[in-house]
Amino acid sequence: MDLNNLGHALLFPFHMIFCILKSCLRLLIPSRRKDLRGEVVLITGGGRGIGRHLGKEFAKNGAKKVILWGRTERCLKETCEEISNTTEAECYYFLCDVANREEVYKQAKVVREKVGDVTILVNNAAVVHGKSLMDSDDDALMKTQHINTLGQFWTTKAFLPRMLELCHGHVVCINSILSLSSIPGAIDYCTSKASSLAFMESLTLGLLDCPGVGCTTVLPFHTNTDMFQGMRVRFPQLFPPLNPELVAQRTVDAVRTNTPFIYLPWTMRALVILKSFLPQAALEEIQRFAGCYTCMNTFKGRA
Amino acid sequence: MNVVAEFCLVSCKVLWTFLIAGTRWFVRPKEKNVMGQVCVITGAGSGFGRHLAQEFARRGATLVLWDINRETNEETAHIVRKIYCDIWSPKGSVPGEVDDVTQIQPQVHTYQVDVSKREEVYLTADKVQCEVGNIEFLINSAGVFSGHHLLECPDDLLEHTMMVNCHAHFWTTKAFLPKMLEMNQGHIVTVASALGLFTTAGVEDYCASKLGAIGFHESLSHELKAVEKDGIKMTLVCPFLVDADMFKGCKIRKQSSPVFPPLEHEHCVQQAMRAILTEQPMICTPRSMYIASFMKTVLPFEAIVCMYQFFGADTYLYQSLTHQKDAMNNNDSKRFAIQEVTLERKEC
Repeated sequence: MDLNNLGHALLFPFHMIFCILKSCLRLLIPSRRKDLRGEVVLITGGGRGIGRHLGKEFAKNGAKKVILWGRTERCLKETCEEISNTTEAECYYFLCDVANREEVYKQAKVVREKVGDVTILVNNAAVVHGKSLMDSDDDALMKTQHINTLGQFWTTKAFLPRMLELCHGHVVCINSILSLSSIPGAIDYCTSKASSLAFMESLTLGLLDCPGVGCTTVLPFHTNTDMFQGMRVRFPQLFPPLNPELVAQRTVDAVRTNTPFIYLPWTMRALVILKSFLPQAALEEIQRFAGCYTCMNTFKGRA
Repeated sequence: MNVVAEFCLVSCKVLWTFLIAGTRWFVRPKEKNVMGQVCVITGAGSGFGRHLAQEFARRGATLVLWDINRETNEETAHIVRKIYCDIWSPKGSVPGEVDDVTQIQPQVHTYQVDVSKREEVYLTADKVQCEVGNIEFLINSAGVFSGHHLLECPDDLLEHTMMVNCHAHFWTTKAFLPKMLEMNQGHIVTVASALGLFTTAGVEDYCASKLGAIGFHESLSHELKAVEKDGIKMTLVCPFLVDADMFKGCKIRKQSSPVFPPLEHEHCVQQAMRAILTEQPMICTPRSMYIASFMKTVLPFEAIVCMYQFFGADTYLYQSLTHQKDAMNNNDSKRFAIQEVTLERKEC
């Protein structure tokens, strides 16, 4: 080992301790929050659920323009009107199916021309088929992959280059705790969210070289929206479903503090830690006890 | 049952599983006998798939090799036939096992198939069922590596990586699982990658596809457990830097080589085979990956980045990407020559 490498090796433990202390300090002392004034935010799946609340929250926090993408015009229009009437932000909506690559690029061009450069991209659009593998329709399986995972590739490819040019931007992904801790009955969703998480992790690491462009990935527990309607947690008093408004607030906060990964609630992190060292059989017993094996039996989904 | 009583029972079961897992460290469980059992391996034409085929051949399994490349697939078949000849022909048989050899003649069957195409997978699976019979092992080993950063990667390649490394598992599993469920017997192996557990910069599609495969595997394990099909086993294999051809040119930083020595194929495959044959749910090679995996969940992000940067893991694939670029520019890489295959549905 040469001198340079030896030096690195000796400094490494101190560097690690310094990073850990810095993070602990950040928990105690409120971090500096960046100003969102002047930001142009685009939210996929912005017409309803968490997306709708995200639009409102970004607008409340000073975003100049909020652009909503979705597939249902009625929802997009309603959300847009609500944001325009209750905040000072300008709100726009466009119909766009993120699973369709060409449509994403076409609409991205339209957004650039009509609204301006997007500085915060929120990949929120998602669907769930909600069946076991053998009961799942092949096309439905693929639709979930296209919207939840591949859609994020296309939107990121459409908007990231300009963010890199401006050295200013943020890519946000509304992921799920199911990406790290899967349950039966949602194999399409768990697979797609896992892919999306790794995509964001790789992107986050890659963007460390460009300080002006940040990434945030949000991993919420079961959120009380239409998407997972009917899903029943066994101990709702211990693990109540999250309020989508809270998820939106915490997401915007994470963007303002440049937090790369956030679990909602924080107890989900404990679950992930447990999973990393528990034997598989132990994990299965715990999941069965927690009702994870039956929670999707009553799943209805969006009407 | 009363919740408190159930909680106590679950706690006891959890402690028991720790005891069993601890015992496995000291007392190696017996490896199961796979002689005569049918094993389907996707991506058998090269790399990990080929090595697994050799190992299963040494143990007398009947092999069904799938690969998009007919030539390399036949090469693997040739190697396998040689192993059969050396080990399982009457003159090469182990004393005392002559009866087994005369009764079971291991065979190898090859099929050219693009696992990213759903219909091809289903048609070929039907053919396998007709021509070979029920399968006991399904090894999802097929994988590709596009070798481009996200913004430089053509969209078709991005999609192709996802389709081969992740979505193909849907089709192969859907093709073979029904029979396994009927018989409550079988073993599904997912060959993912340590890059699914530890992402690195610049290979967004590959990492996404590998963690997707891991997510699929875990979800399926839980589904099988929920319907109490205990006869169907699952093993997740996460090797690190194994496939030398796919990741040519990549090197972990020199100072980390005592902790992460360059891995030999043989070592990884041996570990994987041991895990499969002892029905271990997951195997990471090298073993230090387990510790790193635990640290990743506990440490704050900055410390994780510090760890990655020290080991060179955050950028180690950059050298490989440069090599890939050169290979693509010199038209060396035939990786994406997707051949049209005409399949006829054979009636049994």
